[in-house]
Amino acid sequence: MNSFWNGKRRYVALLLFLAGVFVALVVPPVIPFIQLAGENLPAGYDIPFTDIRITNTLVAAVIVWVLLLLFIVYIARRRPSDGSEVPPGGFYNMFEALYEGLMGFIGGIAGGAHFRLIFNMFMTIFLIVLLSNWMSLIPGVDTVGFIHPHVKEKFDADTGEYKVITTDGFEIYQGFLGISYVNGQCDWISPADEAAADAAALAAADAAALAAQQEQLEDAAYARYQAAHVAHGDDDHADETSDDHGEDSHGEEVVEPSTTSAAYDEVLAARVAEKQARADRGCYTGVAPAPWQDGYSGDKDAKKEPIPLHPDPSSEDAKRVPWVVLPLVRVASTDLNMTLTIAIISVVMTQYIGFKALGIGYLTKFFNFGTLFKSPLGGIDVAVGLLELIGDFAKILSFSFRLLGAMFAGAILLFVMSFLVPILPWPFFILEFFVGAIQALVFALLTAIFMNLATISHHHDDDHADEH
Amino acid sequence: MDPQATIVLGKAIGAGLAMIGAAGGGIGIGISVGGAVMAMGRNPDHTATIQTNMILGVAFAEAVAIYALVVSLIILFVLS
Repeated sequence: MNSFWNGKRRYVALLLFLAGVFVALVVPPVIPFIQLAGENLPAGYDIPFTDIRITNTLVAAVIVWVLLLLFIVYIARRRPSDGSEVPPGGFYNMFEALYEGLMGFIGGIAGGAHFRLIFNMFMTIFLIVLLSNWMSLIPGVDTVGFIHPHVKEKFDADTGEYKVITTDGFEIYQGFLGISYVNGQCDWISPADEAAADAAALAAADAAALAAQQEQLEDAAYARYQAAHVAHGDDDHADETSDDHGEDSHGEEVVEPSTTSAAYDEVLAARVAEKQARADRGCYTGVAPAPWQDGYSGDKDAKKEPIPLHPDPSSEDAKRVPWVVLPLVRVASTDLNMTLTIAIISVVMTQYIGFKALGIGYLTKFFNFGTLFKSPLGGIDVAVGLLELIGDFAKILSFSFRLLGAMFAGAILLFVMSFLVPILPWPFFILEFFVGAIQALVFALLTAIFMNLATISHHHDDDHADEH
Repeated sequence: MDPQATIVLGKAIGAGLAMIGAAGGGIGIGISVGGAVMAMGRNPDHTATIQTNMILGVAFAEAVAIYALVVSLIILFVLS
């Protein structure tokens, strides 16, 4: 491998560059579709035997867990049990160097009695965040997925107001702090399936109408037969044969299903009601063709006119609905759920180690009434303690939004650069490589620093590290 | 004026105003890197330590800019 890359095969880079130019010309990049909340995967991809939907960021998180488990198994197998020397080289040695370096680093910051616990938390958070941050560098992540029509918020001319954004199969709700949570109440049905369901409903209605007509005809024939027998008696052969002949002619006649019969309407009404129920829930039921399908009208002038919220599937409006990709895997750090979870774990562990180190006396850090009546500045201590309490809750927000902001902005940067400079976006991938590593380090290091601060008794520490 | 256009206008102006906060992060990064480079020039033996602390400080200063970025991203892509 080394000899392959040592300078004599630079044409490989040139070939890759030319391939990039070729691909960019043949398949022009599309404008990125940006959504902050993690998207739900389509129906059918939910957790088995439940109605719980899976977001694409959860898929990435699970991949990170699996990778981390494999990583642990590999490291544990490579580690010599008898303390002997490990053969030099390989991934194990690289990890050992990193591990020892970080151990010394944390030892310099929090090398007290609680070093093991602090270092374990540091390393866990560091590896998880690092792996999930670096997933954005893998080709296919954020780009390969399901394609579905997307209807944005539109001005409804009938009611004169703006309606909630509806994307097909997805409803968006306002949640905590104005962040929308996507709740998959609608099932995404592909245009082909929709058309097939329509055709099936029509066929069923035809069959029902046909059956009803056949029954009606047979009833009429039987009534005629009965009437003939009553009128002419049982042993009138000539009349009977003529009657048989009449019935045969009825049977040979090709019966066309009537589209006005009650049975036809009844069967079709079920399908219409089903579609109407979907439309009432804000689910788009159009059969808009995708850009590569027949019937797609992608002329730019047509796009300037507003598209109605629920376009008639047969109209031209339905053909102008934009189609977006729902990625199968999206970087877990770009979802607030992931960053908030790690932040809460970090802050809870900080409190835990505080109680472990200082016992119940840890609470005096927050509720410091001991000096209230003893010293003239006792009131300030109370206020400082309450500020510490608020600061601990602020840590959760600070942790989660820092990681979310950095990684989401990085993801958007990669999207936009891949769109603007499709042949040479790699400098930004290198940038993202460093940003991912630094954000992971900062997250884990701040956890270590805060945990170390919590173990120090409040009365003895005189230099607070800048809390951020 | 078209209500849709008004909303787009407000979002664009709001996102731009929110990003003013990034200036503080830029100033902070400049000051910390400047100090670190001066320190490295005076005692090059401690370059590794200074660099690590500098990167940490830069990350903290950057965090403030990132908060501003998050606000403007929420205005642009979430607010409706």
